[in-house]
Amino acid sequence: MSLLELKNIYKIYGDLHALDDVNLKVEKGEWLSIMGPSGSGKSTMMNIIGCMDKPSKGEVLLDGVDISKESSKNLTTIRRDKIGLIFQQFHLVGYLTAIENVMLAQYYHSVPDEKEALEALDRVGLADRAKHLPSQLSGGEQQRVCVARALINYPEIILADEPTGNLDDANEKIVVDLFHKLHNEGTTLIVVTHDPEVAEVAQRTVFLRNGKLHKETINENFTGEIKFDK
Amino acid sequence: MKKRQMYFRMITASLIRRRSRMLVALLSIAIGATILSGLVTIYYDVPRQMGAQFRNYGANMIFTPSDGSFTQADIEDGRSYIESADIVGVTPYRYESVRIHELPVMAAGTDLTQAKLTSPYWSVEGEYPSGTGSLLLGASLSEQFRLFVGDTVTVSYTPEFDGRSEDETILDNTIDLTVAGVLETGGPEEDYVYLQLSDLEQLTGKSGEIDLAELSISANSDKLRSYAEKISSSVQALDARLVKRVTESETTVLTKLQALVLLVTVVVLALTMICVATTMTAVVTERRREIGLRKAIGASNGGIIKEFMGEGMLLGGLGGIIGSVLGFIFAQQVSVHVFSSSITFMPLIVPVTILVSVAVTGVSCLLPIRSATQIDPALVLKGE
Ligand SMILES: Nc1ncnc2c1ncn2[C@@H]1O[C@H](COP(=O)(O)OP(=O)(O)OP(=O)(O)O)[C@@H](O)[C@H]1O
Ligand SMILES: [Mg+2]
Repeated sequence: MSLLELKNIYKIYGDLHALDDVNLKVEKGEWLSIMGPSGSGKSTMMNIIGCMDKPSKGEVLLDGVDISKESSKNLTTIRRDKIGLIFQQFHLVGYLTAIENVMLAQYYHSVPDEKEALEALDRVGLADRAKHLPSQLSGGEQQRVCVARALINYPEIILADEPTGNLDDANEKIVVDLFHKLHNEGTTLIVVTHDPEVAEVAQRTVFLRNGKLHKETINENFTGEIKFDK
Repeated sequence: MKKRQMYFRMITASLIRRRSRMLVALLSIAIGATILSGLVTIYYDVPRQMGAQFRNYGANMIFTPSDGSFTQADIEDGRSYIESADIVGVTPYRYESVRIHELPVMAAGTDLTQAKLTSPYWSVEGEYPSGTGSLLLGASLSEQFRLFVGDTVTVSYTPEFDGRSEDETILDNTIDLTVAGVLETGGPEEDYVYLQLSDLEQLTGKSGEIDLAELSISANSDKLRSYAEKISSSVQALDARLVKRVTESETTVLTKLQALVLLVTVVVLALTMICVATTMTAVVTERRREIGLRKAIGASNGGIIKEFMGEGMLLGGLGGIIGSVLGFIFAQQVSVHVFSSSITFMPLIVPVTILVSVAVTGVSCLLPIRSATQIDPALVLKGE
């Protein structure tokens, strides 16, 4: 059984088909890239997978459970337990320090654990920035805090919507390296990106156009080793 | 770390690190709480103070002679109709025209110990004369004659022609007295010289006559009225009258004042609620993204409500604490400047103010927080 399966998914706004009969399977531990032009429905799809939105039609099976018909309350629980989210615009709570932002995810998930949160920050190389507020961190550092926050609860899937969209090359590399590490630890990764170089390092890339999946490529050279280099 | 610890860390961080924003909300709550606790203090304390003041505000009953003058015995007679526990003071007055430095001056012979009780608003520089041989000089006379505390003054009196010795030159009676104190009241009393009754009797050579007695009685207006009626009908020589101005104003002014204070308190509470609700609405709007983010990483609606309520109530509590301190100062200022009496601190007002401002803040946060739970994480996180 696949970890995630989208079956004939539609998302319709008026007469706009943001998603138009999408079918997709993602296996446990897989690293998938999603590409496509602006407005092609990438974020719409991520929101549905991330339990933040429901499809107009179709089934979404996560761990064998159809989440497309769940109440928003249950979706919150599922999202909290199974999904780690990373956004293009970082989205940290401005008045909480780096470590408090990581602990926030623990707080909603189970119980905050400062030591564990510090370890997560250490993994993204920011242990020494733990007490900094987001405004005192660079964009790249903020995104790394987001990665730490996304991975803190050991989610089944990490969803990243344009995680490197606002980053320079050096920070982009750091974040992609982190994805490599997570992948090697067995985390399932779904990454939306405009950047072919970021997409290419994944095992598989699907292309969306006008809400339809129209192409899929497998990275034949994928070894799981860090070799992304710019 | 416990969940609760993280919760408090979060809401205090929100208040402390976003203080410039929160200050507006805090300010409105604190001002509301200040006015609230101030007015409630005034509501309870000033009437108490003023009641005491009104009761002591000079006499609330006077005895006048029904014919010419009366005697000390008549006063005692009248006095016997009043329950002794109700009597604050009874002061007899006899007025005579005397002369100081050859200028005519009105002298009042009285019992200065009793006068202190029936005219507590008298302000005396120096001391009240304690026995015979000294007098209390009205402030304007003191200025006119340049006589001050400690000076000796000769008071003279021309006895009335009694028809017995037609050819004799009538000699003035004189008495030397020490100025024990100078009397300031801002009223007509400043034009009088106050002597002990026995000194005046010695000076005039006539005793037993009294022109007026002032009584301060601690009783409500109904009881006062019945006292007055009984005395007037039972004691031949006396006419007992209530000093209306004081007794009536005591009740009506206070009722009106309290009604006004109550009204203002309600209005202030309503305004505070509107103000806090507006501020909280702004806070929620400003933090839409944060709320969306919190929901995206797993906050339930209940969690969001708990956090914002927590912030609101913490603000309410802080505002309440600030307000009860400032409110006391405010009430004190109002009391001192308007009612010339100082406030006694009521400890109960502090927890009440804090509770009320927490409750008011909580209620005013309800609507904005409800709208916070409606925020859809997907839409908020979509973009800038
Ligand atoms: N709430 C909505 N109401 C109406 N239309 C919407 C809504 N959300 C998305 N759309 C439309 O659905 C389409 C897909 O949007 P989506 O955000 O998924 O695009 P995207 O692939 O993520 O684009 P980008 O690369 O610019 O982020 C767009 O045409 C968008 O205008
Ligand atoms: Mg998008």
